[in-house]
Amino acid sequence: MNIFSRVLLLIAPVIHADVVTVAAWEKKAPENTDDLISIQIRLNELLPQTQKALVSIESGDGAGSGIIVSEDGLVLTAAHVIGSTGKKMQVRLPNGKRAPAITLGGSEISDAGMLKITKGGPWPFIDVAPKNNSKVGDWCFGLGHPGGFDKERGIVVRVGRIIAKKNETMQTDSRLLGGDSGGPLFNFAGKLIAIHSRVSQKPDQNFHVPIESFHANWSYFRDQALVSHKSMQKGGFFGVSCEETELGLIIREVITGTAAEKAGISAGDILLEVNGEHLDSREEFIILISSLEPGEEAKILYQRENAQCSVKVKLGVRPQATEE
Amino acid sequence: MKLLFNIFLIFNLSVSGFSDHNSSEVSLPLKFRLNGLSTQSAFDPARDKALETTAKLTRNNKLIAMGAIVSPQGHILTKASSCVGARIATLSNGEIFKLRIKKRDEDLDLALYQIISDRNDFPHVIWSENNSTQKIAWVLSAFTELNEIRVGITSAKPRKIGREGGVMGVILGNESSKGVRISEVVPQAAADKSGLQQGDVIQKVEGRMVKKRDQVVDLVGKKDPGDVVSIIILRKNTLEEFKITLGHRSVTFDLFNRNLQMSGPVSKRKDNFPMVIQHDLPLPKEAMGGPLFNIDGECVGINIARVDRVTIYSLPSEIIKDMTENLVKE
Repeated sequence: MNIFSRVLLLIAPVIHADVVTVAAWEKKAPENTDDLISIQIRLNELLPQTQKALVSIESGDGAGSGIIVSEDGLVLTAAHVIGSTGKKMQVRLPNGKRAPAITLGGSEISDAGMLKITKGGPWPFIDVAPKNNSKVGDWCFGLGHPGGFDKERGIVVRVGRIIAKKNETMQTDSRLLGGDSGGPLFNFAGKLIAIHSRVSQKPDQNFHVPIESFHANWSYFRDQALVSHKSMQKGGFFGVSCEETELGLIIREVITGTAAEKAGISAGDILLEVNGEHLDSREEFIILISSLEPGEEAKILYQRENAQCSVKVKLGVRPQATEE
Repeated sequence: MKLLFNIFLIFNLSVSGFSDHNSSEVSLPLKFRLNGLSTQSAFDPARDKALETTAKLTRNNKLIAMGAIVSPQGHILTKASSCVGARIATLSNGEIFKLRIKKRDEDLDLALYQIISDRNDFPHVIWSENNSTQKIAWVLSAFTELNEIRVGITSAKPRKIGREGGVMGVILGNESSKGVRISEVVPQAAADKSGLQQGDVIQKVEGRMVKKRDQVVDLVGKKDPGDVVSIIILRKNTLEEFKITLGHRSVTFDLFNRNLQMSGPVSKRKDNFPMVIQHDLPLPKEAMGGPLFNIDGECVGINIARVDRVTIYSLPSEIIKDMTENLVKE
């Protein structure tokens, strides 16, 4: 027997097993106790490596959670946990140790936020899932410090499935409580797929920031840019309302007298690019437009029926919010 | 002309095909969710055991607690502070029985009842021999109608829950040689019901002069919810005595807790347990007292407190198993 046939013999059963066995968490639903045990074992396997990078984030007036994604201490969390950029905060690791941190950027639209630990390291960190790595139905698990750090209780773990997903927001039936905000949501490969954002009135329909929002704006957030409702006020204004659908970013309404109307955009058009940058979400569109000044030109690529059209528009001034 | 028509048709088909495919993916069908019927059925052997060994306890036809059938003679273990006045037990097969109280254990907040019947063939829980581990594990309980279950995982370390002590429901203000001023009275709480007012100065608690906020907190906190505390108040230069029946801290200060505002009703007693397992089953407070199972259908504990919208404490089987077996023998 030569070495090649030996290798073949060794790997052949494995290949065979791969073909016939579908992991329990990849089925439409677990079918029996064996599937449930597989899910339970998998979850317990993934916990040690994911829990060690979890932090509780403490500011003067509250606490949230976050997850370390790099050896030098970059932390992903929720925008409503960091509040503003350049703010001093403290993070607490699972062993109770504290480290100073400073808030970076994020987006109030998707609720994505970033923070950097400023002293110490190297830090334990987890892998971030690539773009479009998760879909509706995927099993997931969440970690957090609801109500703040509690050494006796430890990290709270919850399991569930993705029940809806867009690039701007994700919904799961994994449970959440105040203080979980900013905590990580992982898939069953142990990769970070989202950050806890908001609880819904129904405990089994909670909102998370999909990792896609971070990927789309990674360097922007890291360089301390916070897309806030206030900062958008000063930026350029196009004048449409749009919605993320399966077909793309569809324009639902064009506001009269705005740049969009003058450019001949109409409801039903699908937005594709701004200044050559491809659009995946409503958030990316808003960030790109409001990062330009009123009066500046933007090149908009859009699709109408079967044709792609490109138009240059001079952005307007965002009307003042009327609520205040 | 023909060509154009064909293209149009194909275009149309592909668009509708695409959107159909995606609309089915827009949201996960209910049956596949964590507590959907499809997921529940994977728990099948344990589900049947959970349903047949859980009882609904009612007073005036209203569900007040659930209980675990713990013996073939129909002994039922439940949460003591929830089941006061329980008269009737309903089983999952629809059978209805009258109940008699056997024993109460205020420390663990447990009560033992017995079904009034000559039968000795009631299906009953089998206690788990495994101690509550640090591992995350599936758990399940019967839902209130005893026709479905709710599933979830143990979500944190098993641990002791400390005592909270009773509260009057006031916010203490300035300290002076005359006593401690009440800066706010929580509406509907113990102090409010007894007639305490904002601006009153607390001079004595249980006969002892108080000059510091901490003294008031310590003296009152030594007592439990439901205990009566005697307070001497200085109001407009006159002294007045008040007897206040203390409330539960968590219930009294719910108004100030955003998490609890969204939680719906929680258990009154949710403190002072020697050991609990924490899990996240979606159960209302009326489902407390019922048994909690592992996926093998063994009883791992008794649901003892609904703490908030996503947290339930259960007393683990290891601290109640022997006690229950001894009580049943008596």
